[in-house]
Amino acid sequence: MSELDRLRHAMRATERPDAVLDLTTVMREGRRLRTRRRVAGAGAASLATGLAAVVVVVAVGASGPGDPAPTEHPPPVAVAPPSVGVSPWAEKSLGSTPPPTVGRDEPPPKPLGQIVDSGVRHGAERRVYYFVPVSVPGEPEVSIGLAAGRQAPDGSLSTDILVNDVEGSDRSAGFHQIGYDERFAAPVPTFGYFVGPAKRIIGTVDGRQVDARVAPWSGDKQVLIFWFDPARLTPGERLDGIIARDASGRRL
Amino acid sequence: MARGDADFVEFARAASARLVHAAFLMTGDHHQAEDAAQTALVRTYASWSRIHDDDAYGYARRTLVNHLVDGWRRPMREYPTDAVPEQRRGDVADDVATRRWLITILGALSPRERAIVVLRYYFDLPEAQVARELSVSVGTVKSTSSRALEKLRTAAPRTADEEARR
Repeated sequence: MSELDRLRHAMRATERPDAVLDLTTVMREGRRLRTRRRVAGAGAASLATGLAAVVVVVAVGASGPGDPAPTEHPPPVAVAPPSVGVSPWAEKSLGSTPPPTVGRDEPPPKPLGQIVDSGVRHGAERRVYYFVPVSVPGEPEVSIGLAAGRQAPDGSLSTDILVNDVEGSDRSAGFHQIGYDERFAAPVPTFGYFVGPAKRIIGTVDGRQVDARVAPWSGDKQVLIFWFDPARLTPGERLDGIIARDASGRRL
Repeated sequence: MARGDADFVEFARAASARLVHAAFLMTGDHHQAEDAAQTALVRTYASWSRIHDDDAYGYARRTLVNHLVDGWRRPMREYPTDAVPEQRRGDVADDVATRRWLITILGALSPRERAIVVLRYYFDLPEAQVARELSVSVGTVKSTSSRALEKLRTAAPRTADEEARR
């Protein structure tokens, strides 16, 4: 028997057919999740429950029918000023998922501090990152979220992805939620922010180290915005690890 | 119970064991595996009205794998209770040895490699589908799979030696 055959055999032989999950709990939590999605879908303030972080994907070229099904995200639990074409939550899972709704009357995002230009271009548009105010019920220390957006030549902004904490503090030391591309027409380079005296952010994927580009946030010098060059890290590709180093090279 | 709910319960009972086991293969931790499988089923149930006529199992599997892959910082570790599960067949000692070997082998792989190995060789998905489900290229699946199998070949003799010394 080859090692691969042995592996296949071992994976099947160790199955536990008696594994039973508490379906009552599953269905109760599922109903709650469904309710939160509906609330969020109606554009109301959403509910915060025990999730560490959230990614809110806002429209702009999100997948339509026929797209493969990539990721599942927690429901949205924060409310941020939306941009043109807003889908208030992030789930995008099956090919049959309808495109996000488009709200043409939504106001544009209002960045906090300066917008960071990534240097990445999508035609005439620039890929930019900026913080926006968010509000999470019961979480007074979460007030900002990091958005990946595009800036048109006339300066107008449209947000593609917003990531924010949903519990704790948005300024706690260390990494916060990382934003991954959701197969937009304009791919979103992987991005996030780190709180602390970091000078370098290094991601690992497939055993390969990739340095992120970084820029301090004008609103708080302890906050370092980072993103990965799409030529070095394919947008949407999951990192296997990420570390931060200070000016002396010490790992934080 | 509504008809949709009855369908879901039937589906969940049929799918639970494989989802839990797949999660165990990816994490090496029974508790974490059950939590992950439960999360996948919660999200599946939340979307049940639009997926139950489609590929519900595929949806649950994708949700499970993405949920685990997103937790890439978690280290692989063997769950220390050493509780021997109910055995369906064969010699208990053999089964325990098989489980130990499997955990050691998978523990030598990175999270991404484990995910690809589980999707390719436990779920028997073709490379293209694995690539879609993990949002990576087919080339990445091939190279990662190849690297994982090389580690497997390297680790296997060592593991056998260790077993022989027990």
